[in-house]
Amino acid sequence: MAEISEAHDSDSSKSTDNASEAPTQPESEPEFNPKLMRKTKPGLKRLFLTFSVLFSFLLGLQFLWKSVEIYRSPLPFREIDSLSTQLGSDHLIFPLHFHALFVGFDSDPDRLRLSILSEITKLTSQNPKCSHNYTLSVTVDSGSHCLHSPTTSPHSCSYQCGSITAIDFDQNDDVAIDERLVPVFGGKTNEYSVVVVKGESERAVVGKNRRAWVVVGSGREVEIAVVKVAEVLVKVFVNGGREEGSIRNEFMPVGADGRIVLSFNLLNADPRDWVYDWDFRKIDNNLLAPMIEALGPVANISVESQVLYHTPKASFSYWDQQLQSYVFSTKDLPFFVNSNEWHLDTSIAAGGRSKILQFVVYVPSAKECPLLLQLPNGEISNTNGFISPMWGGVIVWNPQGCLKDDNKPTARRTIPMQDLENMFEVFTGQFRQLFGFKSVNIYAGASGVWNLLPSERGFTEWELDVLSRQHTCFNLHSCASTLGSLSRLVQSLPRMIIMDEIGKQVKFSLEAAKLAQSNASNGVYESSAASSRQARSLAEDAFFHPSIMSVSYYSFEHCFAVYSL
Amino acid sequence: MALLQRPFFVLLLVLTHQFMQYWIAFGSVNEEGQKQEEEFNEELLLKPLPDRKVLAHFHFQSSAPPSTSNGRHHHIFPKAISQLVQKFRVKEMELSFTQGRWNYESWGGFDPIPSSNAKPPGVELWAVFDVPQHQIDASWQNLTHTLSGLFCASINFLESTTTYSAPEWSFPPASGNLRYGTLPREAVCTENLTPWLKLLPCRDKAGIAVLLDRPSIYRGFYHSQRLHLTSTGSGSEGMVSGIILEQTLTVVLQPNSQRAGMAYASERHIQPSWSLTSIFGKQVSGTCVLAKSSNVYLLLDRGLVAELEHLHKENEKSAENGFTSQNFWTKPSFELSADPDRIFIEENSLHSKGSSVLYKFQVEKYSESEPFDLSLTWKIPVVWLSQQAPLHASRFLMGSGNERGAIAISLKSTQLSEGFMGANADDERCDLQVNVFQVVPWYVKVYFHSLQVFVNQQPKAISDIIEKIHVSPSKDKVSPGVMEMVLKLPCKVNSAALTIEFDKGFLHIDEYPPDANQGFDIPSAIISFPNFHASMIFLKDDSVNKSPLLSKFQEKSPVMSYTEALLVPLTTPDFSMPYNVITITCTVFALYFGSLLNVLRRRVAEEERFLKEKAAKKTGRLSLLLSKLSAKLRGAWNEGSLRVS
Repeated sequence: MAEISEAHDSDSSKSTDNASEAPTQPESEPEFNPKLMRKTKPGLKRLFLTFSVLFSFLLGLQFLWKSVEIYRSPLPFREIDSLSTQLGSDHLIFPLHFHALFVGFDSDPDRLRLSILSEITKLTSQNPKCSHNYTLSVTVDSGSHCLHSPTTSPHSCSYQCGSITAIDFDQNDDVAIDERLVPVFGGKTNEYSVVVVKGESERAVVGKNRRAWVVVGSGREVEIAVVKVAEVLVKVFVNGGREEGSIRNEFMPVGADGRIVLSFNLLNADPRDWVYDWDFRKIDNNLLAPMIEALGPVANISVESQVLYHTPKASFSYWDQQLQSYVFSTKDLPFFVNSNEWHLDTSIAAGGRSKILQFVVYVPSAKECPLLLQLPNGEISNTNGFISPMWGGVIVWNPQGCLKDDNKPTARRTIPMQDLENMFEVFTGQFRQLFGFKSVNIYAGASGVWNLLPSERGFTEWELDVLSRQHTCFNLHSCASTLGSLSRLVQSLPRMIIMDEIGKQVKFSLEAAKLAQSNASNGVYESSAASSRQARSLAEDAFFHPSIMSVSYYSFEHCFAVYSL
Repeated sequence: MALLQRPFFVLLLVLTHQFMQYWIAFGSVNEEGQKQEEEFNEELLLKPLPDRKVLAHFHFQSSAPPSTSNGRHHHIFPKAISQLVQKFRVKEMELSFTQGRWNYESWGGFDPIPSSNAKPPGVELWAVFDVPQHQIDASWQNLTHTLSGLFCASINFLESTTTYSAPEWSFPPASGNLRYGTLPREAVCTENLTPWLKLLPCRDKAGIAVLLDRPSIYRGFYHSQRLHLTSTGSGSEGMVSGIILEQTLTVVLQPNSQRAGMAYASERHIQPSWSLTSIFGKQVSGTCVLAKSSNVYLLLDRGLVAELEHLHKENEKSAENGFTSQNFWTKPSFELSADPDRIFIEENSLHSKGSSVLYKFQVEKYSESEPFDLSLTWKIPVVWLSQQAPLHASRFLMGSGNERGAIAISLKSTQLSEGFMGANADDERCDLQVNVFQVVPWYVKVYFHSLQVFVNQQPKAISDIIEKIHVSPSKDKVSPGVMEMVLKLPCKVNSAALTIEFDKGFLHIDEYPPDANQGFDIPSAIISFPNFHASMIFLKDDSVNKSPLLSKFQEKSPVMSYTEALLVPLTTPDFSMPYNVITITCTVFALYFGSLLNVLRRRVAEEERFLKEKAAKKTGRLSLLLSKLSAKLRGAWNEGSLRVS
């Protein structure tokens, strides 16, 4: 402190000295030593020296800059931004074509069309992410002639006037009617058609394909029919017949790489009592293969199975005298899965980001057989199974009669084929539930009950359409948000190395996303789902590239450590 | 006695051989007729060791036949292993976790157990792939990561090219697609055993695996857990190849001596009596219901049997009791708590020393109410020696300092195998072939030209002794150095030694492992004797073929032994060095810039002039002091006013 103030003082004194001495210069003139006086003009040499040092420093700085430069592959930031703004500003619109056919009516098709449209707008809830752009055409077939509205609609052309009559709907075999309707509207059209006929037995059925029919009784048939048609179009064909908010759309049991592994496990709780085995290969070929093929555009599904032993459940059940069985209540269900002893294992065959759904058949031991699951209302579950969203499902299977063969307890027995088929029906239902669909074949709407025809493939065509649309929407948004995060991350870390591979993945992901968008707007749901899946998985690959992962936790302080550079 | 037994055996062998042929033919028809299923077998072999210890060798074998659904649908075979084989196209693989060192001198080195189950400390992994040459390294790297996750071990460190090598011919399952790597410092504990047990259908809930009580097995002197898998060729088109998974656990335990206060003259020669409860603290209460066979064996090795026979003969001479050779095994010098279901006697064709005896106990007979607890009580003191490999190998470091050193491998003849050599001695050129395989990390820079060979302490020309040598020198930070050699030593050799010099390299600061001052491990060298086969041939019998463990014993595998892992101290830097460097650099920069600025800013000549002027003006000391004081006061006043404001 003292030194500084002294220096300050000397400086100031110097300046004052200078100032005071300026006038006294002549006085000290005689004492001036010419030897010490400088000869050259001051400043130039000094300036030259200063600048040369500065110049060499700047030159060296460039070299230093060049030597610590890192490779960054150029990323298409602008395109990423435009993708997310496009998706954000509601550019993903799925076109839907509706066709309502009134057989045996003689109303004005234009008036019908307008009233259906107004009902549809009443029912439509605006999805913030993806919207639908629908066109409606109405045909009134009065037997002798047909009236179309709008007259120039390109979609109603496939219907041959007079090819169906009300008599076709008299029979009670809905499956046969569904088959009958296929050639009427042409085999392969993407439009959703509803047929309204007059008849005695009132019913409403949704077929396996994209067709539904309503039989209305006499009376205010037109008004009822309009409400029903609007409801089936919006609630069933567009929303998949699920209640709002039952399972959120984001709950998609599909891995980030677009793959699902269905891992089936048969758990013998105590093999000392009995050992059950199954013929899974047959099940795989007969029951699962059609469903997997049907879901092909949505996810790439693979199936594997194993049998595990010594796998008790984690919680206890109690003996119910009335039911003559052991009962496990719903509130204990979170403790049913025993993660210590059930080594269900993640699959090695699956990639790192695949989704694994575990389906478990639990064979209880002799001392807790038969084991039943109790619903919260005290009833016994019909399926004797439960699901855990995003994890999978469990079914308890009780051996016939719970009889222990004391003579040969170690003999391996096979679960009867009939039981296995029942079990897999339950599994199909559980699988549908995991995807957000209902496991029952009835849709109860505001205007009445719709009977939904089940498909032998597990998912009907219109359900697959719903899934495809939903997946395209979800995948594209997820892809856009992943790419957006990546671009923000890359821009926020200027010292991060970006490999060429990441650049390529981003590019391909954007291309796939564009393809998906254009396919979606053309109404090709399957291929748009497939390419959106690809876009998402590429975006995830780019984001989780190992070279980024190692750098994203790199703090600025590390720059000071000479050796880490 | 042996001579008397010989014709009987031969006759039986001929008979059984004919029977076997018939049986094999029948078996193949059977295989085609009915579909093969996945199988599981569990076996345990117990063997008393000469130094009062007991060897327990657990052997679990699961097999999956060739099928179209391997890797997808499984009933008993572990799905994870099958998927691993399918994904990485593994033809054969072995992974071992070992703690402790196999004591070749006292525990033997010639039997099938030491030669295939004695492993180097830490982790050893080798794998043969069924992929094109250029994909092998990628497959290996992925495999190490998968195994690392599967077994909770740092096997992923074997991913780096500096840690694994590709032996050409000296490693026994030699093949071009082989990769071999070791981690000598990996610690092995229960977290590795639990995933290993998960591959068994009954885990340690039932069957023989119940004995695997963690505290007892990790208290042992040696503990080696091994997983070996072989994929058998696919049967037909479209079929995925079958897999045989062999899981073994070898432990050497010290039984707690049960007899306290028994005063024998030769107390220390008395072998301790033991039972399953005393060594494991548990007993077997039944089989794993999924196992096809579940057996416990007690093996008495050749040396012990010879000694017992000798003792028995002496007894016979002195007591003149009418013992015949037939009831010798039923009334031996020890007592077993359970009656063996079968006794196998080794087919003794080569070894003059005697033949090993195997007692078989079937666990199926026992249940929870009547658990199986085998115990062995010695009645007389016995001293014997285990059979050794032809040469005992040891490896050590020479030299001092942190700059250079030398590795020496010393091979010493074991007296026991002399008789063995004697058989071939009449041949003039009798050679003992020894294969040496050694991997050296790159930072130990070996000079291969400095290889020296000594036979019976005399230096020999390399070309006389080394028949074949293959060297791939290490590349810095890329690959380790590999040395493979075939030595031809004369049969009468007493000792042989190989020395090779090396320089110690320098590592980059972030290549040092934690605790670098401990030193760096050089993996064990493998010494194998291709002319000697470790196999025990039992009388061909139905039950021998059914038992995977016994059929493993009958396989002809070359005798192998591992040397010690070496610990090389390298120069370790002061790890605070970067910060010192930063400090010094900053000081130098500060000095440079400070002086530069000083030079640029100050006008020394002018200042001197002014000072002189001042000195001329104010010479009075008092005035100087006064002016200083006033300046200080003024300064303080200024500061004070500043603070106030």
